[in-house]
Amino acid sequence: MSENIIEIQHLEKNFGSHKVLSDIDFSVKKGDVTTIIGVSGSGKSTLLRCINVLETPSGGKILFHGNDIDEKGFSVTDYRAKVGMVFQSFNLFSNMTVLQNCMVGQVKVLGKKKAEAEEKAKYFLEKVGMLPYINAKPKQLSGGQKQRVAIARALAMEPEVLLFDEPTSALDPQMVGEVLAVMRQLAAEGLTMIVVTHEMAFARDVSNHVVFMKDGVIWEEGTPEDIFANPKKEETKDFLSRFIN
Amino acid sequence: MAEFIEGIVKVWNGYGSSFLNGALNTLIVSLVGTIAGCIIGFGVGVVQTIPTDKKDPLWKRVILTVVNLILKGYVELFRGTPMIVQSVFIYYGVRMVFDYQMDVWPAALFIVSINTGAYMAETVRGGILSIDPGQTEGAKAIGMNHFQTMMNVIIPQAFRNIIPQIGNNFIINIKDTSVLSVISFADLFFTHKSAVGALYLYFESATITMAIYLVMTVTASALLRLLEKKMDGDDNYDLATTDTLAYTSGLLSYHPKEKTLEDFK
Ligand SMILES: Nc1ncnc2c1ncn2[C@@H]1O[C@H](COP(=O)(O)OP(=O)(O)OP(=O)(O)O)[C@@H](O)[C@H]1O
Ligand SMILES: [Mg+2]
Repeated sequence: MSENIIEIQHLEKNFGSHKVLSDIDFSVKKGDVTTIIGVSGSGKSTLLRCINVLETPSGGKILFHGNDIDEKGFSVTDYRAKVGMVFQSFNLFSNMTVLQNCMVGQVKVLGKKKAEAEEKAKYFLEKVGMLPYINAKPKQLSGGQKQRVAIARALAMEPEVLLFDEPTSALDPQMVGEVLAVMRQLAAEGLTMIVVTHEMAFARDVSNHVVFMKDGVIWEEGTPEDIFANPKKEETKDFLSRFIN
Repeated sequence: MAEFIEGIVKVWNGYGSSFLNGALNTLIVSLVGTIAGCIIGFGVGVVQTIPTDKKDPLWKRVILTVVNLILKGYVELFRGTPMIVQSVFIYYGVRMVFDYQMDVWPAALFIVSINTGAYMAETVRGGILSIDPGQTEGAKAIGMNHFQTMMNVIIPQAFRNIIPQIGNNFIINIKDTSVLSVISFADLFFTHKSAVGALYLYFESATITMAIYLVMTVTASALLRLLEKKMDGDDNYDLATTDTLAYTSGLLSYHPKEKTLEDFK
């Protein structure tokens, strides 16, 4: 349990001369549910996108099981297959059905047989309550349904860590619940997750590690009790007080 | 009028099967040229949209830049000159430079394909760029490389979006392959020229030729619309369940399973 799956050291990211992340340090162990909170523009998405190498960090290191992901010979595509990502805007493949969305990565990236991939896809679609919709195309689904399919698609790769970037922010309030319910269940089953969210109840009740970001740095981090019950920094209190009411 | 109809009958009796044969040749060269042109266009379009990263090794960036320059030159050259000139240039040029006499068929197919390819390259590039970048990120996030992302996610969608332009190109090819008669390719227009050469019935023969061209283009566009419809698939889907609860959105029909993720590890 003690080995870090992901370890981030002094991570930096600039867009041109605009410093978006500086000196980010944190690590994730197996089974951890880490939530990242903070105001808009504080660099939460950028951090997540750096972890998944959708953005190239400008400095610092990201270690995956102790291996530098920037090293020569480290396969970024293999790494991405093990570190899944769920986006705010779902990003389902619009040319494929729900079932195909959940199979294509298994077949093309992991090299699984179709039958095996289908079985696994169905297993995870059932988990997120979307099994009845296997023949639907993404455009025929509601936002909450799309997001649950996107989660199933990521799970079907059986990642070691799953990253969520504000998975409920694009959803109507009544659909937020159905997605959060799935995420709570995954957390309860021991899936390692890093979740950027504005859902404070989720951060407080589900995660075991909360990271508060502001202006591209980690301002304060700790257990949910540390952050929500006894925040040490004024900025953290400020931020939270805006959410509590 | 009676004289005109008589003329038509005369042309048809003498050259009917030649007209049909010419029409068939026109169709074949247009269809093969359009398909081959599409393949060239997709090849060029995909290469032109390969993303470069500052982290890529220098040799990769240099090769990509050179290849892209060559491809750009190809597109400009074949879009910027008339196909009739390209035909004589290639047909006679090959004979002069390589001392090799191309057969008419391969020459015709080559010219139409390479010309269509230049137009399609731009269309494909636009089609690829028009796909939401989120699709690419979704594919990357499950570990697909550039090639897999292109083949499985981007190209099928880009292809669907550019079918109207592909169809347009096909119809243009049906008409524009008439210039291949300069290298004596026996297409529909070539048949017309042979018929008037023998019978001197210009207007009658032209009427038949026009009619056949029109039938081919109108049929082609109708078929293409059908294909488009088919590719869009059903507007409806069947729920794969008998559980009526599933018809309501949300988690009403959703019961957490006893099995956990660990069972699958
Ligand atoms: N591709 C980019 N090019 C330039 N600047 C960028 C780019 N992506 C993000 N930024 C900038 O980086 C900063 C952090 O953005 P980021 O999206 O990480 O914030 P966030 O914390 O996720 O915000 P939100 O809660 O609104 O999603 C912002 O100032 C943003 O303008
Ligand atoms: Mg964000």
